[in-house]
Amino acid sequence: MSKAVIAGYVRSPFHFAGKGALTKVRPDDLSATVIKGLLEKTGVKPEDIEDLVLGCAFPEGEQGLNVARLIAMIAGLPQSVAGATLNRFCGSSMQAIHMAAGAIAMGSGQAFICAGIESMSRVPMMGFNPMPNPALADKIKGAYMSMGETAENVAKRYQISRKEQEEFAVRSHRLATAARQAGKFTDEIIPIAAGKENVVSDGCIREETSMEALAGLKPAFDEKGSVTAGTSSPLTDGASACLVTSEDYAKANGLKVLARIKSSAVVGCAPEIMGIGPVAATERALKRAGLTIKDIDIIELNEAFSSQAIACMRDLKIDVERTNLDGGAIALGHPLGATGARITGKAAALLKRESKQFALATQCIGGGQGIATILEAA
Amino acid sequence: MTIAKACVVGAGVMGSGIAAQIANAGVPVLLLDIVPKGAADRSAIAKGAIDKLLKADPAPLMSRAAAKLITPGNIEDDLEQLADVDWIVEAIIERVDLKQDLYRKLDAKRKKGSIVSSNTSTILLAQLIAGLPDSLAADFCITHFFNPPRYMRLLEVVGGAKTRADAVKEISAFGDVMLGKAIVHAKDTPGFVANRIGVYWMQAAVTAALDLGLTVEEADAIMGRPIGAPKTGIFGLLDLVGLDLMPHVDQSMAASLPANDLYVKLRRDWPLLNKMIADGYTGRKGKGGFYRLNTEGGKRVKESIDLKTGTYAPSTTARLESADAAKGGLKVLVSHKDKGGQYAWSVLSRLLTYAASLVPQIADNVVEVDQAMKTGFNFKRGPFEMIDQMGAAWFADRLRAEKMPVPALLDSAAKAGGFYKVDGGRLNYFGTDGAYHPVERGEGVLLLSDIKLTVKPILKNGSASLWDIGDGVACLEFHSKMNALDQDSLGLLKQALDHVGKKMKALVIHNEAENFSVGANVGLALFAANVALWPMIEDLISQGQAVMKAMKYAPFPVVAAPSGMALGGGCETVLHAGAVQAHAETYIGLVEVGVGVVPGWGGCKEMLVRNQPGPRDPKGPMPPVAQAFETISLAKVAKSAAEAKELKFLRATDNISMNRDRLLADAKARALKMLADGYQPPKPPELRLPGSAGKTGLNLAVHGFALQGKALPHDVVVSDALAEVLSGGKTDHTEMVNEDHVTKLERAAFMKLVKTEGTLARMEHMLTTGKPLRN
Repeated sequence: MSKAVIAGYVRSPFHFAGKGALTKVRPDDLSATVIKGLLEKTGVKPEDIEDLVLGCAFPEGEQGLNVARLIAMIAGLPQSVAGATLNRFCGSSMQAIHMAAGAIAMGSGQAFICAGIESMSRVPMMGFNPMPNPALADKIKGAYMSMGETAENVAKRYQISRKEQEEFAVRSHRLATAARQAGKFTDEIIPIAAGKENVVSDGCIREETSMEALAGLKPAFDEKGSVTAGTSSPLTDGASACLVTSEDYAKANGLKVLARIKSSAVVGCAPEIMGIGPVAATERALKRAGLTIKDIDIIELNEAFSSQAIACMRDLKIDVERTNLDGGAIALGHPLGATGARITGKAAALLKRESKQFALATQCIGGGQGIATILEAA
Repeated sequence: MTIAKACVVGAGVMGSGIAAQIANAGVPVLLLDIVPKGAADRSAIAKGAIDKLLKADPAPLMSRAAAKLITPGNIEDDLEQLADVDWIVEAIIERVDLKQDLYRKLDAKRKKGSIVSSNTSTILLAQLIAGLPDSLAADFCITHFFNPPRYMRLLEVVGGAKTRADAVKEISAFGDVMLGKAIVHAKDTPGFVANRIGVYWMQAAVTAALDLGLTVEEADAIMGRPIGAPKTGIFGLLDLVGLDLMPHVDQSMAASLPANDLYVKLRRDWPLLNKMIADGYTGRKGKGGFYRLNTEGGKRVKESIDLKTGTYAPSTTARLESADAAKGGLKVLVSHKDKGGQYAWSVLSRLLTYAASLVPQIADNVVEVDQAMKTGFNFKRGPFEMIDQMGAAWFADRLRAEKMPVPALLDSAAKAGGFYKVDGGRLNYFGTDGAYHPVERGEGVLLLSDIKLTVKPILKNGSASLWDIGDGVACLEFHSKMNALDQDSLGLLKQALDHVGKKMKALVIHNEAENFSVGANVGLALFAANVALWPMIEDLISQGQAVMKAMKYAPFPVVAAPSGMALGGGCETVLHAGAVQAHAETYIGLVEVGVGVVPGWGGCKEMLVRNQPGPRDPKGPMPPVAQAFETISLAKVAKSAAEAKELKFLRATDNISMNRDRLLADAKARALKMLADGYQPPKPPELRLPGSAGKTGLNLAVHGFALQGKALPHDVVVSDALAEVLSGGKTDHTEMVNEDHVTKLERAAFMKLVKTEGTLARMEHMLTTGKPLRN
């Protein structure tokens, strides 16, 4: 049985929803451009691709129908390439990678595009017609709880001070700024045409941010709370894509392999503290890989909020120095459905760049879940 | 020629404000200024001015769409664009040489026959065109706007000896119909009309206060509402306009008027004013002026200056019997023996004498002068209307008794019986020829106040009247206190619908008060709630719903013609009219949550109907509900009729009149047009509402706002009731409901809320303070 490998990773520039450079770009067009970029960059034969698996957290409006199939058409993929849209909220496109790895393990395909998309400008969070189940809303308060409120709950439960959250946010911006200045994103970013403009660079990173600037912000979700817009990931437009193939296929076709997928896991947790989802998911994935956290050299821990990222690092005893080397979602942005493929692809790329052995990509998921992937050097 | 494109040169406060008002009228306008030295962007000044327009409060622009009609540029690169400009307004610095240089540049590029006007307030037209070609002089006039141009109604138009008569006519018509201004035809004399008299008033008010030893509080207590001037009085007004402006205005007036002019004789140097300006006390824009807020020691203490010593002390409330007595009229005020009465007489005797001595020197007749003071200085009455209120003969006699001069015009008007007279159902004014002449209203102007002089109401009660405005059209007028709606208002509306249905062709709902209606009478509801007269409250809701429904489905056109505030029940009245002809300055909104209730006369229902998605909007049952919820729960009030369209208080098909004086005629014409087009009442809509899932969704959002501290505890209660109504109660989105289903929910929600302590506290607070309670 051949192992699944990540043989390519790209993304669009990430921009603020509603006011950023990608506001007017349809998500299907955005994703198609990124996928075309992936094909070009990896040189994979399009006709060999089994399926386009696309994660999206609010698959309606321009992200509606089976948008994966439509994106395949826009991107000009051969008709034989299938398409499936899947939703595990923020974990959607990491789940796409897990699905591909599972299919490869079963011998159900050689090459997969695992992509993610979210235009938070054009499809609102909660969707156009939020219609929660009244009985469930009454019974389980966390079921429909806003993400900000869960971040406050985590901050309270783990007693994470506002200052600590802000230090983490400043770190994220600092690392992202340094990475951009060093040209470390040029490899992964596919330029996007937005009207007359060619968008080549990220729009959410605040190079000038400081502890003083963050200290001046009002709490964003709870007037008595500690979580601010500065310690939350912004609403973002963006797309990402990874090429996942069997190791044999990659070798036979001369693809540049970034990492091998070693194990994966998903797990549910209390919805009102959904931010700690990565803890159980990571423990489970580590166990399946026969590793401990000390073995992990590179960590991509999604920064939905400073508070939950810090809580997860504390519980998992994660070394911050190994985490989010080029910054995280607080600085880069968090286009929900696109983040999973970004951090998994990024972890794979970092493993290669830093010549390390093991990497972890993990994230929390609204509604109370965690998802994790362990990678190893190929 | 119609004015299809305009250009304003000079992007200062006045220039950009004029450009904004032209854009508000839907006319594209070029805004030009000089190229700043060394600037990367050569049009930076005009661009900066547009940015400021978008941020200024009160807003100079009526909509964001209007902002897009203003194109920024500069006078070096963009003069070629004048080729298709019909009207160029100059609003640059008040220097003849610079203005003339500019005129020459403009003249070289402008379209033949285009009108060029100056917004000067201090330079005579004759000086401005001296030495310029006759072809330019023929197209040149003065258009003097008042600040802020959107909100001040006065536009003084001055033509010169060489100006084409039709140029003045065109600009006047454009200013009137398109810009909504009250046009005053001024003669080419210093200060024109309003400033000539208004500045004299300010000087007289200051001088008399100093001479009679009044404090600033005492002076303002008399020089405001009691004489019919804005409530700021005199010193408060100086603080508002800026103290540093006064020496300029004074010097300009003194320099341009002959030595024997009463202003020149009255004016004097005022060391305190100069010292205040030098010390940075330039008024509200500076550290303060005659009043200031002292924030030393962490407290905000309002202080006033001592006019003798120039030191500040905490402000006190002036206690003057005369100020209260002024409710009995100007004659009572100026006859009062206390120093307030003496002060009022001292100022008014001079002011009104001065005004009477200037006709026909500054304007052809007294009507123009009265109009100028009412619309340029926000006086309740013009000088000649003030004289008439006291009695022209009484006023002239007292002047004589005090050995003061009596101008000839005043003398003859006093003998004839005053400056105005109603004769044969028409208002007449006393002309300089010694005869009375009808006050001309101009084509397309119809005033209810004029109609009232000719006929008796068809129906009338304490809160409303129905008038015959001709051609089979009736006009329903609200006239209760602040036009708050009560059972009588609703009752007369119902009677009016019956009457028009049987005997007339169409109904217009309009009144000439400052506000169309501030909403339902909260006092009444509170009173009934306090004595638990629940059936009475429910009856008022049911009655309102029934009347609104009858109006919406009346078999004849009903046109609402609001101006000013149309809030709560006033808004619901507008929402249920078959068509709306709104004054551009209409401020409409459903503000019921401010007193702890939901709109109960079909406002919730109507907002659901109006927010039904168009072909390009997201589908599904929630978007209209979420939109209506946002508008009502935040008590959004549109800041213009244009914005009311954005918020869907007005339909795309509803019309806007820029000039308030044209509103009634426009509304009547609209009603007649609807009749001619074969009016059919609307078909009752059916609504697909989300039911309890929608309510849960809205409440989740409100929960978030409550956590953020944006929604207070009682907001959550009111929002819950509103969510119940807007989501359709116990319906399911697979079913359709009718309007009555929603109004029934409105009624239930209203009754539920009015029984809560939080709501009663809000009502009581509103009634006692005039402001919403945050609880």
